[in-house]
Amino acid sequence: MKEQTSIPTGKVERASRFVATGLKVGTNYLKHYTRKLIDPSTSREELHADNAEDIYDTLSNLKGSALKVAQMLSMDRGMLPKAYTERFAMSQYSAPPLSGPLVVNTFIKTLGKTPAQLYDRFDMQAANAASIGQVHKAMKWGKELAVKIQYPGVASSVRSDLRIVKPFAIRIVGMNEVDMDKYFDEIEGKLLEETDYRLELRHSIEVSAQCSHIPNLVFPTYYPELSSDRIITMDWLKGFHLREFLERGPSQEVRNKIGQALWDFYQYQVHALRKVHADPHPGNFLMREDGTVGVFDFGCIKEIPEDFYVNYFLLVDKGILKDETRRREIYTNLEMIHPTDTEKEIVFFSGLFQKMIDMLTLPFTREEFDFGDEAYFAEIYNYMEYVSNLKEVRESKVARGSRHSLYVNRTYFGLYSILSDLKAQVVTSQTRIMELIERAGVRAGKAEPLPM
Amino acid sequence: MEKKDIRDTYIKYWLENGKRPVSVYAFCQQMSAQEAGFYDNYASFEALEKDIWRSYFEETLLKLKDDEVYRNYSVREKLLAFYFLWIQQLRENRSFILLQRERFLLPGDHLGRLDSFRHAFYDYIRDLIKEGYQTGEIKERKFISDQFVHGFWAQALFVLRYWIKDDSERFEMTDAAIEKAVNLSFQLIGSGTLDSILDFGKFVFAGK
Repeated sequence: MKEQTSIPTGKVERASRFVATGLKVGTNYLKHYTRKLIDPSTSREELHADNAEDIYDTLSNLKGSALKVAQMLSMDRGMLPKAYTERFAMSQYSAPPLSGPLVVNTFIKTLGKTPAQLYDRFDMQAANAASIGQVHKAMKWGKELAVKIQYPGVASSVRSDLRIVKPFAIRIVGMNEVDMDKYFDEIEGKLLEETDYRLELRHSIEVSAQCSHIPNLVFPTYYPELSSDRIITMDWLKGFHLREFLERGPSQEVRNKIGQALWDFYQYQVHALRKVHADPHPGNFLMREDGTVGVFDFGCIKEIPEDFYVNYFLLVDKGILKDETRRREIYTNLEMIHPTDTEKEIVFFSGLFQKMIDMLTLPFTREEFDFGDEAYFAEIYNYMEYVSNLKEVRESKVARGSRHSLYVNRTYFGLYSILSDLKAQVVTSQTRIMELIERAGVRAGKAEPLPM
Repeated sequence: MEKKDIRDTYIKYWLENGKRPVSVYAFCQQMSAQEAGFYDNYASFEALEKDIWRSYFEETLLKLKDDEVYRNYSVREKLLAFYFLWIQQLRENRSFILLQRERFLLPGDHLGRLDSFRHAFYDYIRDLIKEGYQTGEIKERKFISDQFVHGFWAQALFVLRYWIKDDSERFEMTDAAIEKAVNLSFQLIGSGTLDSILDFGKFVFAGK
């Protein structure tokens, strides 16, 4: 019975799983090209589906940070072919559960009591998975509570997991290694923060209080006395995840209300709080038929540095963009072009970026925007796919785009993709954001005109 | 003299001196007791050390049996709960165990030191396995099933060694290791995987 003494827990074993997947993906390509030789009509969709499946299987076995990376990749729909996205989107919902005894053990270790002693009722069966933990339903004080529990050893394995995921991610996303390094630092920092449930609890309480005035948003109450660095207890929110919600056929009016609430929530955070709930994957929102939406999971908060904020939103200003020198200055500040670039590269890349920004910021320039406009998203996806396949982009040896843009872009991508699924019509005007900020009574200094 | 007092004093001696007392006589002096009293309970320091390991196990089991939740667990969960609690029990004695590490982790030698614990553990596991047959969590197979206890013993030793080397916060990597090890073992004995492995092995060796 020797196999029981060699449990795959170490880095090497994890790495070997990835190697196995790498091999499988390689084989899929081989299969694809052979099939193509025999039958030239074979589509790449099929290949992508094969790959996504194998990659997904590997990632869901690994849990923890690898699952998080899967989630992250699944967010950037624009960067990934459709098949990858579908398959990865599943990872946002389910992962194998923690055993009952381990749950009890975590309670005893961090709160000194068993769940039975702490709550009136505690469901041992997890209600759902939360990427680096799972959520249980409980009762106390006559209230239904959601108790989030972290998998043991997540923090310890984040670093080694990421190192293993990296070469793999380069393959999938098609980014070069230099780019990846810069971004992986950022991701690593954020992931480590996410494993700190005390920090998350603080963020959650803070941000929910600051955003409580936004219409149709619902935040749970958090219970610090029933939380530790591995456990968070909050109110149980009713509602449905995006996909289930849409299956119930909500009316256009309800979808608009929810879309508007989400739009307001993000605009307010970015422009007034200068920090943002940077994890807008559908699992973090619960939607209800009365047009309200529950928001939780503030594990990933991105603080937006002032100079990045100013430069990023200057790009939306058509007036400034006409000034060639000013424009290049902004691009340089955002690390999209570098002083070492040749004139040809500058023209090429700034052209690409401007086109991308024009597309992504289109809603900002309108009074109202219909996110159900499929042509708009198809155009974005096609353009992204076109850009990522460009020889110049693939072979670019320098990182393009500030590290801060990673989470800010991801946030907007995530928001857009939810709004697009909702087919929501949203008031996107600048006056609406200004009103929200004024209503919150933010200090006069902060309520200066937005640079957009 | 109570057995428990002797065990506690002996552990305390180790913690303070980092070695075994020179003789039973010297040890009894420390306890201000007669040497004969010691021998009424233990024949030697070896016997005493064996009993310490057994007592960690017995105390764990005692706590589990009192627990209502434990009784309602499936067999897999029972074993998990046992390991978690056992490790908690050991944690209270970590210094002593680390001092003893070189002695019981030597191949061959540890079998002696952990002997009484092993016998008690085997009894416990046999009961669990029987329960597993009834709940259907474990498939009964001729000859092979009898060997399961040895597998679980190897697993217990794995957990012990992992915990001894573990330097993560709150030993949470050990928690993860236990969870994974137990899940794997139950997947192996609950399905036909093990049969297939053995069948394949037999084929390879016999089919030459």
